[in-house]
Amino acid sequence: MRTAAVGGTANGARHSADIGDNWVSRYSPMCLDNHPEQLMARYQQGDLAAASALIQHLSPQLHRFFLADFGSRGDADDLLQETWMRIHEARHTYRPGEPLLPWLYAIARHIRVDHYRRAQRRTAREAQLDDASSPAPAFPGPSAAAPDLEALLAPLPESQREVIRMLKIAGMSLDEVARATSSSVGSVKQKAHRAYERLRERLIVMGFGKGSPGGVS
Amino acid sequence: MKDKEIDDILKKAAETPHRVDPALLDRVTASLGASLGPVRPLPPPWILATGAILVCAAIALAGAARLGLSGFRELSGLQRVLIFPALAIQIGLAATVCVRERIPGSRRAVAPGLLLAACCVSLLAVFAVLFHDYATERFVHQGVTCLVAGLLHAVPAALAIALLLRRGFAVNPVAAGLAAGTLAGLAGLGMLELHCANFEAPHLMLWHTAVVPVAAAAGALLASFVRSLRPSRALL
Repeated sequence: MRTAAVGGTANGARHSADIGDNWVSRYSPMCLDNHPEQLMARYQQGDLAAASALIQHLSPQLHRFFLADFGSRGDADDLLQETWMRIHEARHTYRPGEPLLPWLYAIARHIRVDHYRRAQRRTAREAQLDDASSPAPAFPGPSAAAPDLEALLAPLPESQREVIRMLKIAGMSLDEVARATSSSVGSVKQKAHRAYERLRERLIVMGFGKGSPGGVS
Repeated sequence: MKDKEIDDILKKAAETPHRVDPALLDRVTASLGASLGPVRPLPPPWILATGAILVCAAIALAGAARLGLSGFRELSGLQRVLIFPALAIQIGLAATVCVRERIPGSRRAVAPGLLLAACCVSLLAVFAVLFHDYATERFVHQGVTCLVAGLLHAVPAALAIALLLRRGFAVNPVAAGLAAGTLAGLAGLGMLELHCANFEAPHLMLWHTAVVPVAAAAGALLASFVRSLRPSRALL
């Protein structure tokens, strides 16, 4: 079943492996054992250690989310800061007990859309945006251990890339992606299915598979 | 190549560590810490939706009571039984959508545009089925009067809804504005159905129904304008 293939948690993005040593020395290590939802609930209560743990824990995946779209590290840094400012302003709208990632990514998408809109107004940056949206990086050969994720996803339409990133980088479920993108689970499944079809063709051309069709049912 | 293989390749590719400048994260933490205090989470969505429904019902009833309930008195039992429950269902659905648009990461049952279309189509269907007087006496004059009265009642409804949902955060302000406008328009339409005794089908189908899309469009335009004024919030 395709749902199982595309819907499962893909990596350990939700776990605390990304939390740097820098933070551990300054804040309570108790935070390391907490889920993001618990940290968020404590952040709502004004706990700075929980806020800091959340920032350290979730910023890498958010930064990657922005970097993939804009290509520039400076833009990704700005968007990351802006996202945390908005999260801070809107932190009371998170309902304890609800999954955190759909709430967080809904805000991050909103920041990204706003940034697109502002960028489009500035003609000087149009060329830069075009460069960022084109499939720039070349694929490594099949002998490589794994292709670069963004290079692999670059030929996909933005909506499909976004869904795959949320499923595979953020490790969100189909329902969570649907919530974050204000769409239905069916629509997310369809996008993931189409993305997998394209990726299959791409990977076969690259020599990653034997070319057996099907698999997405 | 099977999905599992693609999954494994994506998983492997995603495992590449991604580091963010620690100084940037420290700056973000320091900035948030400066204004960090406890906040009260939003009440459950059903409470907000119930509040919005009550606001709409109160404004429709108060407006009709002030102008007169002649429309309600003239309606037959069947017309009452079909029109007001249909309006109540639409207001309930619109209130739910409106609240969800103000809470990031909420499940979206119906898109606000689809909600508006569904409301207009169902209203047209109800009016077409129940009213068969096709006269168009003083069509424009009476129609404009009803449209203006409906919109004038949609304005306080919209303000009350905005006040009720002021702590929400719309990730798509235009969609949220459209949903709020639709809900406010339904409140205005509710007032018209209670008050207006002109049962000519063209009058109801055009001028009464028009309150909803006009209010929705005004809500979306206003939200779009407000969004264009909003500055960037980057720290540096």
